Amino acid sequence: MSSRKLPKLKIGDLEAEIPIIQGGMSVGISLSGLASAVANEGGIGVIGAAAIGMLEPDFKTNFKEANKRALRKEIRKAKEMTKGIIGVNIMVALSDFEELLLVAIEEKADLVFLGAGLPLKVPFEALKNSSTKVVPIVSSARAADLIFRYWAKHYNHVPDAVVIEGPLAGGHLGFKREQIDDPRYSLENILPEVISVIRVYEKQFEKKIPIIVAGGIYTGEDIYKFIQMGADGVQMGTRFVATHECDADVRFKEAFVKCKKEDIIIIDSPVGLPGRAIKNKFLEEVKAGIKKPIRFLWKCLKPCDFKKVPYCIALALTNAKKGNLEEGFAFAGANAYRVDKIISVKELIESLLIEYEKAASV
Amino acid sequence: MSVEEKVIDIIAQKLNLSKDQIKPEASFVEDLGADSLDLVELVMAMEEAFGMEVPDEDAEKLRTVKDVIDYVKSKIGDQ
Repeated sequence: MSSRKLPKLKIGDLEAEIPIIQGGMSVGISLSGLASAVANEGGIGVIGAAAIGMLEPDFKTNFKEANKRALRKEIRKAKEMTKGIIGVNIMVALSDFEELLLVAIEEKADLVFLGAGLPLKVPFEALKNSSTKVVPIVSSARAADLIFRYWAKHYNHVPDAVVIEGPLAGGHLGFKREQIDDPRYSLENILPEVISVIRVYEKQFEKKIPIIVAGGIYTGEDIYKFIQMGADGVQMGTRFVATHECDADVRFKEAFVKCKKEDIIIIDSPVGLPGRAIKNKFLEEVKAGIKKPIRFLWKCLKPCDFKKVPYCIALALTNAKKGNLEEGFAFAGANAYRVDKIISVKELIESLLIEYEKAASV
Repeated sequence: MSVEEKVIDIIAQKLNLSKDQIKPEASFVEDLGADSLDLVELVMAMEEAFGMEVPDEDAEKLRTVKDVIDYVKSKIGDQ
């Protein structure tokens, strides 16, 4: 018989009391406030690094420095507010990916979560000489195998854990549009495939490589289901948006409370990926071809053709973070419509624990 | 085996295609149906087969089968 209590999550020498990771959410949705609150409850809090400098006054003129400075500040603040585990999510597609990764290492982030691209070429020497753990985010067993094979070959080392982000996640998705609703690509189907890939590397490198699932996980019952299927932990984003501690404006959180199932849509992000978001006037205007003026002309994402995109997504997401949903929109997971109130992180974790135990005792 | 043959051999194997489908002018994405992961796989396989390093900025420019053949030749010399 399996344990009724939530298991701990061990990643190398790190040990989280509960196997719940708060997914890093950019721009500015998960900063030190939310991350430290989750870490204080025994989970892993994660700061979203993408375009984090948008909140700095000199962002327009000094984009890269502003990003680095803001990330450094948020990691330090988070570490002052908790003794728990703090990670940073850094998109591989960012044009300043490596610079931000080096800041996270210098500031002794406990982990870095690297998604939206394959983290193949990384500053390995700096990582090796630090205690920062590396956790790639993948959406297929193929991607997991490719990353681990590349690391094994080039670094004679493999990442410390892996997050599998399924098609029900919020924000940019690692799937083609037609795959999103195809059951073959469901998280339930991808998980066993990734487990068999990772087992090979666990054997080869004689270490445990925890597998964390993400995308659409909403209740403690969901957590129980995936732990039973062989996952070591879960990453959740949407649930943590609807908390008092979430670093977004209350109007952003209310968009989650108010939205209905039919409001959760898939958009074509200007950076060439599908993304899941809450429908609003801004997105309808974009769809209707009414272009939003681009005010900034730099390339924060490597694949962004910033002279051709209809609007700047970093700016739209920053507006939304600040509560200005007239000139922006909220990325959200497929289950965001189920959110009916804003609670504290503590209350959320407690309810997840109760649901988990209930599911485990059936 | 010539460079051409070896390159086509690797592409056929990685993309699960028969060799006669792989014409020099074929583009990986449009004609051969490769996705972004396939492209990384191909570059890794070429590096291994020809004992060379392909920097990202070079890899981005390799769009067709001929691009790869020419690139390999320029790196290792025509054998």
